[in-house]
Amino acid sequence: MSTASGAGLELRQLCREVGERRLLDRLDLHVAPGECVALLGPSGCGKSTTLRLVAGLDPASGGQVLLDGEDLSERGPGERQVAMVFQSYALYPHLSVAGNLELGLQVRGMAVRERQRRIDATLDLLQLGELRHRRPAQLSGGQRQRVALARALLRQPRIVLLDEPMSNLDAQLREDLRPELRRLLCGREQPVIYVTHDQQEAVGMADRIALLEAGRLQQVGSPRELYTNPANRFVASFLGRPAINLLSIEPGRQLGLRPEHLHLSEDGAVAARLLRREWWGHQQLLWLDSQWGTLRVLTAPETATPQEPRLSWQRQHELWFDPQSGARLLH
Amino acid sequence: MRTRSSSLLLILPALVLLAAVFLYPLLRYGWLSFHASSVLTGLVPVPNGGANWGRLLDDVRFWTDAGQTLRFAICSVALELLGGLALALLLHRPLRGRGPLRALTLLPWALPTTVMALGWRWILNDPHGPLNAAIRSLGGSSYGFLSTPATTWFFVVLADVWKTMPFVALLLLAGLQTIPVDLEEALRLEGASRLQILRRLTLPLLVPYITLAVLFRLAQALGVFDLIQVLTGGGPAGSTESLALYAYLNAMRFLDFGYASTVMLATFLLLLVPLGGGWLLLRRAGLERTTERAA
Amino acid sequence: MAARPPLSSLRRQPAVLGLLAVLLLVLVSTTGLKSVQAVAAEPVPIRVLMPAPLADAVAGPVARFNASGSGVALEVIRGPLDTETISDLAISSLLLGEAPFDLLLVDVSWLAKYVAAGWFLPLERWFGPEVLAAMEPGARLGNGLGEHLWRMPLTGDTGLLYWRTDLMERPPRDTEELVAISRDLQRRGRVRWGYLWQGRQYEGLSCVMVEMLQGFGARWWDDATARTVLDSPQAVAAAGWLDALLRDGVSPKAVANYAENDALQSFAAGEAAFLRNWPYAWREIEKGGGPVKGKVGVTSMVGAPGEQGGGTLGTWGLSLIKGSPHPEEAVAVIRWLTGPVVQRQLAIEQGYAPTWSRLYDDPDLQRRAPLLAVQRQALRHPQLRPLTPAYAQLSDLLARQVNGMLTGQAGPDQTMATAQRQSLQVLRSVAGTPGSPPGSPPRSP
Repeated sequence: MSTASGAGLELRQLCREVGERRLLDRLDLHVAPGECVALLGPSGCGKSTTLRLVAGLDPASGGQVLLDGEDLSERGPGERQVAMVFQSYALYPHLSVAGNLELGLQVRGMAVRERQRRIDATLDLLQLGELRHRRPAQLSGGQRQRVALARALLRQPRIVLLDEPMSNLDAQLREDLRPELRRLLCGREQPVIYVTHDQQEAVGMADRIALLEAGRLQQVGSPRELYTNPANRFVASFLGRPAINLLSIEPGRQLGLRPEHLHLSEDGAVAARLLRREWWGHQQLLWLDSQWGTLRVLTAPETATPQEPRLSWQRQHELWFDPQSGARLLH
Repeated sequence: MRTRSSSLLLILPALVLLAAVFLYPLLRYGWLSFHASSVLTGLVPVPNGGANWGRLLDDVRFWTDAGQTLRFAICSVALELLGGLALALLLHRPLRGRGPLRALTLLPWALPTTVMALGWRWILNDPHGPLNAAIRSLGGSSYGFLSTPATTWFFVVLADVWKTMPFVALLLLAGLQTIPVDLEEALRLEGASRLQILRRLTLPLLVPYITLAVLFRLAQALGVFDLIQVLTGGGPAGSTESLALYAYLNAMRFLDFGYASTVMLATFLLLLVPLGGGWLLLRRAGLERTTERAA
Repeated sequence: MAARPPLSSLRRQPAVLGLLAVLLLVLVSTTGLKSVQAVAAEPVPIRVLMPAPLADAVAGPVARFNASGSGVALEVIRGPLDTETISDLAISSLLLGEAPFDLLLVDVSWLAKYVAAGWFLPLERWFGPEVLAAMEPGARLGNGLGEHLWRMPLTGDTGLLYWRTDLMERPPRDTEELVAISRDLQRRGRVRWGYLWQGRQYEGLSCVMVEMLQGFGARWWDDATARTVLDSPQAVAAAGWLDALLRDGVSPKAVANYAENDALQSFAAGEAAFLRNWPYAWREIEKGGGPVKGKVGVTSMVGAPGEQGGGTLGTWGLSLIKGSPHPEEAVAVIRWLTGPVVQRQLAIEQGYAPTWSRLYDDPDLQRRAPLLAVQRQALRHPQLRPLTPAYAQLSDLLARQVNGMLTGQAGPDQTMATAQRQSLQVLRSVAGTPGSPPGSPPRSP
């Protein structure tokens, strides 16, 4: 989907092997300037590995990392102009907030006055001015994350990488911070890669999502694309909560139906029996027993539920998979 | 919340133990230092009106030994710190067979000092030791390494460094392992060189461990006894005699326990000066930074 | 005698006992104690601790003694050869209370300390005045203390003056002649240095000082007051004479770092006209075959004009350890080892001076031990080091001060005044008062 000399970040056939283990298998990915791509997947899927390869912290076993058509593969991490926000934030514990920002500029030999100007501007942007003399140990989790972000933005990087930047925050804070993070990061010049295992966060943050599993890219596209048109069974079941129902209706074919696409109706084709009901306020989740196993059904909260309802769905919502490989079957 | 008195109760056994093994002997030495207690008094303490302390102030041997002990401690600890740091950085890097290597470097430290010192005495023996054998096989002639003050002093320091450098290295290695890897990676991404990382990040974060190592080793080196007793006996001509050895000789060779107590107590008081000074200095250098807790 | 008060009060000092355990481990492992001999069919075992060279020297007589069927199995424990080290070893065993030996070969400079510690049994029960009367006068010194006899002497060595028979017709009679001859020979280029001696900061320098103090009519120790008298004008003159030797170039500056062997080597290489040393040096020179072999004479130490010179007494003798289970047999061993047979052999083979007068009259021995006449002469006016239990400390500080003078840190006046001041401080510190009688028996607690 990309051209050789395209602007932005391009990963070509990127591989990483450690001993016998293949952590990343021929990844192709393009991130346009100003675009935010979320790397999503369960732990161990290769998303952090990808990030470290882009940053140059680990050597690639094969493939290339191109930025605006320029090959970065031979450059060390200090020469790639990459900014990274670590999951732990990696703040220097012996330095104040201002000191944390300053050290990177210092090691690159920037003049004192220019350093001060940039630090002041960045602290203002992130509203950290009052905390500038605090040590990391004296900051709250959210404040630390903002300092880490400030340190990343300060150096005007050509690529921004974020490694689970919100996983150490509580759920409420995570939701609150999302718009601010988008405002600060996205829509600038740089391509942004955002690693997370949380699909809500990925959907909230990213323009596109790249879903990885066992070192392989499963699918890349907008959240809507991945949800409505999954490339395989893994993509279909990873995205969407409650998870998709998988019904082995016929030999050689497996039917995927999302819980919101199943309806209670008198003349439904499938008979079921109500097991349990979870009431969520804006919706309710029904657990039903059927001849194909337990099914999850989302309905409006006020929907009356008989003890033995019948279920129906529309054909357009059917997703068919190969039961062995999990590949999507199109018809 | 624990009350003040109940927490006092909890540390009481430790306090009692400390008083028994530390405070009591100290007080006993203090008392004895104002008495004559030697073969001339039948080892019965006889008050001598502070004569021990007057003698101490005028005792050239005591002050010579104090200078020698201080010089030994400063040189040994400085070399151990530099060598230990280098060794710790080396062992911290991911190397093949790092586990066995770490165990191997600890070997000198695990050896009892007397055994180690005997080994060195044999190596340096004139003319039968392997070092002199090597010199002769290269066409030189045997050298009395332990009968010349300068070379003796050098080998005493070397033996101490050889033995305790692994300990310092281990302590610093433990410190290195508490530094999260991503701190270094973050600084690498900023374009810092290895040396910059060491100077700006690793060393400042190691300060508490360096403090601990220096204070611990300084206390040990200022009280050095067994190494010198076995390797040189304080010689040649008293040039390697330490304060601890002098205190010991007063008791064991001169059978003068009153003055031995005085020397021991004075040594202890003298130790407090460099130890306290070192502690304050290193504390100012940044110990408090990393011990701070979130408000 | 009170029953070992020092030991029981020592046992109450756990720190001391801990240190002792460490020391014992160290010494035993470093010296490698070995027994020379152990023979018997149920004979009484008697053990004697000696420095290794002396133990080797008496190995032959010991073997003969054991073969003689006396009912005693004599075992000689070879201790370290350094005098201080063997004393440390002996003391640490004695402090623990169960000494693994019955007899100890004691240097004259240790005696007062060991006696005051109460570790020896007096010997006058077995050796009456008539026994000592058969010895040379100098050999009788340094064995008795207070009312008792504590040691039977085995050797009668003193410091001696070595001179070059090829450079002068007769030895100097006093210190002024020694310097005059030296300067004359040096001026005429016959020899590089005049006089070599022991100036290093150690016990050897104290021995030199004992000789010089006496030679200038001064004293180190006053028995009557039990105090040092190092600041007398005569004592300052003695120190000044040694200082002048270096300043005037009669002795090399390096003398300030010379021990016995350094001085001997330089003299044996023909670099000097005179040497101060012990009797063993003569054999070393004759055995060595260097340039001065056959050209060395020996005489007793000189004093200032009009004063009686003399050599420092450096004798060894046997003492009986209190608590030995077999004192009678141990005394039989003392009798044999200090007897004429063993002393004769030591004189012939090692050059040690005998103590018995009749050995000096033996023409055969005179022939086979050429120094005999000089040694007898030296034993007429020997110099004893202060007989005080605090001798080691006093000697250490004096050697330190005099060595400082030799290296130019202070003049003779100041040196001797400091030494005197420090000596009195030591005595006050050690004894409570400066001047409790020497070797007074320990009081019971």
